[in-house]
Amino acid sequence: MKTLDQTSSLFWLLVSILVFAESLRIGIGTVQNPGMGFMTFGASGILGILSLVVFLQASGRKEDLRHKPLFAGTLWRRILFVLLVLTVYARVMPVLGYLISTFVLMSLLFWVLERKKIWFVLLYALLATLFTHLVFSKWLNCQFPQGLFGF
Amino acid sequence: MDFFDSILYGFQVTFQPINFLFCGVGVLVGTLVGVLPGIGPAGAMALLLPATFKFSTTSTIILLAGIYYGVQYGGSTTSILVNIPGEASSVMTCIDGHQMARQGRAGPALGIAAWGSFIAGTISNIGLMLVAIPLAHAALRLGPPEYFALMCTGLIIVTYLAQGSVLKAIMMGLVGIILGSIGLDLITGFPRFTFGINELTDGVGIVPLVMGLFGISEILENLEGTLEREVFKTRIKNLWPSFNDWMESKWAIVRGSLIGFVLGILPGGGAVTSTFVSYAVEKKISKHPEKFGKGAIAGVAGPESANNAAAGGSLIPLLSLGIPPNPIMAIFFSALIIHGIQPGPLLIRQHPDLFWGLVASLYLGNAFLLILNLPLIGLWVKVLEIPYKILFPLILLFCLIGVYSMNNLSFDLYVMLFFGVVGWIMRKFGYEGAPLILAYVLGPMLENALRQSLLISQGSFLIFFTRPISAVALGFACLLLLTTLLPHFKKRRQQYDQFKE
Repeated sequence: MKTLDQTSSLFWLLVSILVFAESLRIGIGTVQNPGMGFMTFGASGILGILSLVVFLQASGRKEDLRHKPLFAGTLWRRILFVLLVLTVYARVMPVLGYLISTFVLMSLLFWVLERKKIWFVLLYALLATLFTHLVFSKWLNCQFPQGLFGF
Repeated sequence: MDFFDSILYGFQVTFQPINFLFCGVGVLVGTLVGVLPGIGPAGAMALLLPATFKFSTTSTIILLAGIYYGVQYGGSTTSILVNIPGEASSVMTCIDGHQMARQGRAGPALGIAAWGSFIAGTISNIGLMLVAIPLAHAALRLGPPEYFALMCTGLIIVTYLAQGSVLKAIMMGLVGIILGSIGLDLITGFPRFTFGINELTDGVGIVPLVMGLFGISEILENLEGTLEREVFKTRIKNLWPSFNDWMESKWAIVRGSLIGFVLGILPGGGAVTSTFVSYAVEKKISKHPEKFGKGAIAGVAGPESANNAAAGGSLIPLLSLGIPPNPIMAIFFSALIIHGIQPGPLLIRQHPDLFWGLVASLYLGNAFLLILNLPLIGLWVKVLEIPYKILFPLILLFCLIGVYSMNNLSFDLYVMLFFGVVGWIMRKFGYEGAPLILAYVLGPMLENALRQSLLISQGSFLIFFTRPISAVALGFACLLLLTTLLPHFKKRRQQYDQFKE
């Protein structure tokens, strides 16, 4: 936990410095007439101080040798694949439209955990796409992009 | 309108077909969300929020309240049968509920959870009616300094009750305040912290933020492992608890209801905290504390009653003061704002249909939930048996749809994914999302109240200490902060004494 706390507190310290600087840039005003950076100036200042406290507390502790590495056993490829697919989906959905892009997305998401049964994967993906389209677009009137092909 | 006319009016509103339907859909979705680990009440509310835009505010709030109530009921099923809390508010139910299931008493455990929830929900509704209106009248006399102090206290209590480090929770609260300030400044109208990104002019949306921090991050965490879970196979019978079960549970239900209601009202309190307190109280005063952890029915009845009573209690500060006391109420708050209604002391007077319709819907919802959770328990057991590898793509898709349909912007999807990864990493590093969400919602109000207070006092911070309510609230907050520091000083003192010896 020691290293984790040190790393995270340094990250928040960096964030607080950036926000602090930006607050000064946009103007903190005076105590009689606070400016639009006043609140964030105070918040980032306290955040910075607390980050330092967490860092110092962590530095004074002994490392717990029983502690497992943070990402030990994590199925990295699966998580990265899902994040990549979702990012691409966000990019292509307005272009390809809801139905096509969602069908492809769902096929890939079902496939990532159930690689053997491709027909099941495609069937589940199709059903999920049509069901959500029916419920959200037709019944609840949510506006989904139609894309290049008009559906 | 007098009190009883108002209640009748509320039932008239609730029994309108659309509101009746929304109440039913809300509790159904809520139970489903409670049964399934993954989305959570905040995520489910955020998901359905965009779909409610074309409906009235009353229908929307009835739907959201149904989800919140339903989640408390549904969470107990997963806790008892799978030993995995469907929601954080069902953690305590796992301890004795699952033990009861292992002893072949899943039926009475589920039964007392449902009946306890029903009784507690009813008690808390009565409390809501009795407390909200006088509080709203009193709140009309509160000014910016009092609001600032109350919101500060709420934030401090949330951080104080955090499961991990209090320091980290306070840091998350500060990050929430900073995130809440992104967008147009309330007073000058100039953009800040937008870094030239037009989509950020309106600020970071609460729906992508909540979905990312709670929904996506939980899915990513689940994807790390094997995704297998074991549903305890047992024949569920005797859902009506026996006479002895009732005798052992009756006071636990009453105490749980009162604890839940009071903690629900307090800023920063809520369903989760009340279950921990209720369980601790039951164990402390029980004649057989050794039975706790081995299948004591009072250990199920107390916390389950508490989380439902807290759900009703936490509506009070929102509806009468306009201050959301916990992250779930923050979503309610946003829903009201999105529908053009300002929560606060005037809400009950200006929108009686909303308030009384909501109150009546809570009664109706409780009745619906009893039917859903007792005769239809088999259905939820079947839902529990759906493999996660089929559920996770569907949960992801619902998150995507919920976020996209809010503004029809792909940018919101990126924001959700960003906060999903941030939330996942935060969990790894021991930072909690709840203080961040509450501070994010309270941030702009807090800032407004602070700036107005300083304008009134011409720059003197003493205004917060010369007015009794704000002085008491801030004093209480300071006291809480001091109590978190005391153990640290005590430890240091002991180390020093040992060193001296």
